[in-house]
Amino acid sequence: MAEIKFTLNGVERTLDVGPKMTLLRILREVYHLTGTKCGCAMGACGTCTVVMNGEAVRSCLINPKKLDGADVLTIEGLAKDGKLHPIQQAFIDAGAVQCGFCTPGMIMAAKALLDKNPDPSEEEVRKSLDNNLCRCTGYQKIVEAILLAAKRMREE
Amino acid sequence: MAHDFREIGKSRPIRDAELKVTGRKVYTDDMTLPNMLYAKVLFSPVAHARIVNIDTSKAEALPGVRAVATYKNVSQVKYNSAVRFIENQLPETERIFDDTVRFVGDRVAAVAAETLEIAEAAVKLIEVEYEELPVLMDVREAAKPDAYPIHEGGNIVGCNEVTAGDLDKGFAEADYIFEDDFQTQFIHQGAMEPHVAIADWNYDDKLTIITPSQDTFGNRVVYGRIFGLPYNKIRIISPAIGGGFGGKIEVTLEVVAAALSKMTRRPVKLTYNRKETMLSTRVRHASVGHFKVGVKKDGHFTAVDINMMTNTGAYASSALNVSGAMSHKVFKVYKIANMHFKNNPVYTNSAISGAMRGYGSPQAFFGLERMFNRVANELGIDQAELQRINLVDPDSLDPCFFHPLGNPQPKDCLEKVLKLINYDEAVKEMEATKNDRYRIGVGVSTGVHGNNCFGAHRDVTTLMIKMNEDGTAILYTGSHDMGCDTVGTQVAIVSEVLGIPTNKIDVVAADSDVCLWHLGDFSSRGTFVVGMAAKNTAEKMKKLLQEQASELLEVPAEEIDLYDDRAWWEKDESKNVSIADVMLHCQRDHARELCVNDSQLADRGPTSYGVHAAKVKVDMETGEVEVLDYAAVHDAGHIINPMGIEGQLQGGIHMGLGYALTEEFKYDEKGNPQTTNLRKFHILKASEMPRLHLGFADSEGEPGGPYGAKSMGESPVVPVAPTIVNAIVNAIGAEINSIPATPDKVLAAIKSKSK
Repeated sequence: MAEIKFTLNGVERTLDVGPKMTLLRILREVYHLTGTKCGCAMGACGTCTVVMNGEAVRSCLINPKKLDGADVLTIEGLAKDGKLHPIQQAFIDAGAVQCGFCTPGMIMAAKALLDKNPDPSEEEVRKSLDNNLCRCTGYQKIVEAILLAAKRMREE
Repeated sequence: MAHDFREIGKSRPIRDAELKVTGRKVYTDDMTLPNMLYAKVLFSPVAHARIVNIDTSKAEALPGVRAVATYKNVSQVKYNSAVRFIENQLPETERIFDDTVRFVGDRVAAVAAETLEIAEAAVKLIEVEYEELPVLMDVREAAKPDAYPIHEGGNIVGCNEVTAGDLDKGFAEADYIFEDDFQTQFIHQGAMEPHVAIADWNYDDKLTIITPSQDTFGNRVVYGRIFGLPYNKIRIISPAIGGGFGGKIEVTLEVVAAALSKMTRRPVKLTYNRKETMLSTRVRHASVGHFKVGVKKDGHFTAVDINMMTNTGAYASSALNVSGAMSHKVFKVYKIANMHFKNNPVYTNSAISGAMRGYGSPQAFFGLERMFNRVANELGIDQAELQRINLVDPDSLDPCFFHPLGNPQPKDCLEKVLKLINYDEAVKEMEATKNDRYRIGVGVSTGVHGNNCFGAHRDVTTLMIKMNEDGTAILYTGSHDMGCDTVGTQVAIVSEVLGIPTNKIDVVAADSDVCLWHLGDFSSRGTFVVGMAAKNTAEKMKKLLQEQASELLEVPAEEIDLYDDRAWWEKDESKNVSIADVMLHCQRDHARELCVNDSQLADRGPTSYGVHAAKVKVDMETGEVEVLDYAAVHDAGHIINPMGIEGQLQGGIHMGLGYALTEEFKYDEKGNPQTTNLRKFHILKASEMPRLHLGFADSEGEPGGPYGAKSMGESPVVPVAPTIVNAIVNAIGAEINSIPATPDKVLAAIKSKSK
């Protein structure tokens, strides 16, 4: 496997890993960024969602080849200078967090959505979460959190 | 009192929300210990077999392999994974590894190696020769006297039977008698966090297990029995739970990690992938039931007879616990004097059934509430009116033991839920579409769950509070948060009593070496019992703080109130002192530390009620069902955290909708599981959820609960499946007696009617 170069939370990284690795495993095992979770390793639960080149991707499905040259943002890269991102704050304020295992993936899915569409409808928010399962909340407060974050970010 | 509630009744996010939104909450699989090994388990590919030969030599020879465990070299003590306290005796049928496998997914062997890749490769090198045994998948077959015994003594684990009144008399008084059979499926708890454990059996013979456990102290009893260790040599730490729902109460994979760590004297991490988690941890009991009811022309029920069998799978586990819990819940809802409930848990060659949110209630209430709908239709009485006629009143007595039921408010729930669903309009729509391709259906159901284990066994939690010398506090609690804010609720209560803000109270939770004994995070006991333990403990600490403050303020201790982080003389608030100064005085002038503990022993078991209503649209040509509106109103006593309790209700409805419509952990007749991933096991997605309409009963509070509060965790799941199926049945005019109500099943019901 040849060397790959990519940007991780704003830092340039160079890596040499085998082809069987996935972005999820690279994040958790190489960089110890354990905020990105593994719920199924087959792209069916969305707990491993990160933002890659502006798109929400399930990192368990991303092989190292696809990673070369990419710009990756994980949950650890979202808060700036110790201050929570508005989406993170909205998840707290709206009561969207229960067990927390789906939360980083949900937040990263929301980040990708709001970067592209700052004023989504409720239906658009729900559709954007369809790769992300939550067993605790019934999604209602997660949807409300994303709409709240969108509103706050528009007013900023 | 000089002030209103500061914390109680106020909406607040879960205590560790900041950690969770930043990815900084550390779950078990996020941890790595020095010199740690990685484990992989070999699971049985056959449903029932004796192991004739097992050859691990090739696995052992693989470089990097440090231990291979089978039934030949680990403890052969039989245990019950659901044991909860030291004297608790339940049927012991399971071993870490056995010479017989009893379901596809049963553990055969395990490897610990330097890397996960090596462990995975080594497991594939283990050669096993099986001699297959008869496979029993249906409880009705397995329960027959001549069925092949999956365990010694036959396949019926036991019997739970409860009677109220006189059943014969009740049926004799009835104008009509109806009976029918109902069936519910296996489902998996489906927590987003797969099962995982790190075990560290060190050279001092101390076993530390880090695992997302809902029951650290109960699990310690099981490990003690298996490995022969005293409790000072077993430490269980539950650092975070990425969803429990009952699936993380019992001992599952931890014993494998512990056995491998004992062999290697190195920490061993075992993480199940999703398929392994679904195959080899726990599922909700499937059930079959015969329900017979007697009813007067005016809709009053005179008798109910329920005879069920639950499918407990390959090992005893929670068989009797769940069955026992089931046996009581149906008696708490209606004013029916003559009732009988009987359930036999039965072994089969399927996954092990255990605890899951609702704990027996969803199975029992599916049949009962479907019968209510049937009676309503047969008698021509509106389904809501039939509920109104029979539901218990706040002054009702338990029909078995004639104990007061406390303050049950299901009737208030019923009236509110009918408004939320716009019931009269919905019924009109149902009438108007009854000959259309797309039909509207409306369903109503009641469901309940308890607040503790009172009546089943002892139910106690003891908490401890320590004051720091700057006036802040640490709460030590054996309980752990699964996301329902159990611990946050305790902190809010301590804050309320001591007048210290919540951000000055930190928590050490779910560590069996540090915290005092706690029964476990199950039975919806977090608010009613553990919350009360927090109140008792805080009140004990309050007394000590008042005594210390009285020395500084020179006024009687009992005239001192605590709020806003200060101690105040009630009679003249110009006399006050900060809690920090009180604690400084205590430590500096008396060389005294303030640390108290107190317990809550549950001495009654109230019931939490929910009444649900749904409006669905059914396509008569495809059998597809769309849930348009879903309303739920619950009686949870006086509500401590409105936002938190809404989240519980919304999540419970979501789980119940999956149970009703899409989720099934399915087997073929040979015992091969068909739905072992999250593509095939259909948990509803965000865009598949209906509009939710929530409400809460007006309640002056539940006697014995902290500030009158009672549980919400489990009750919301219970009424959902019958509510949805009743709505579908009312739309199509044909009975559906099993779940999930998939399009195929709905279409079959439509076709059977038109024949």
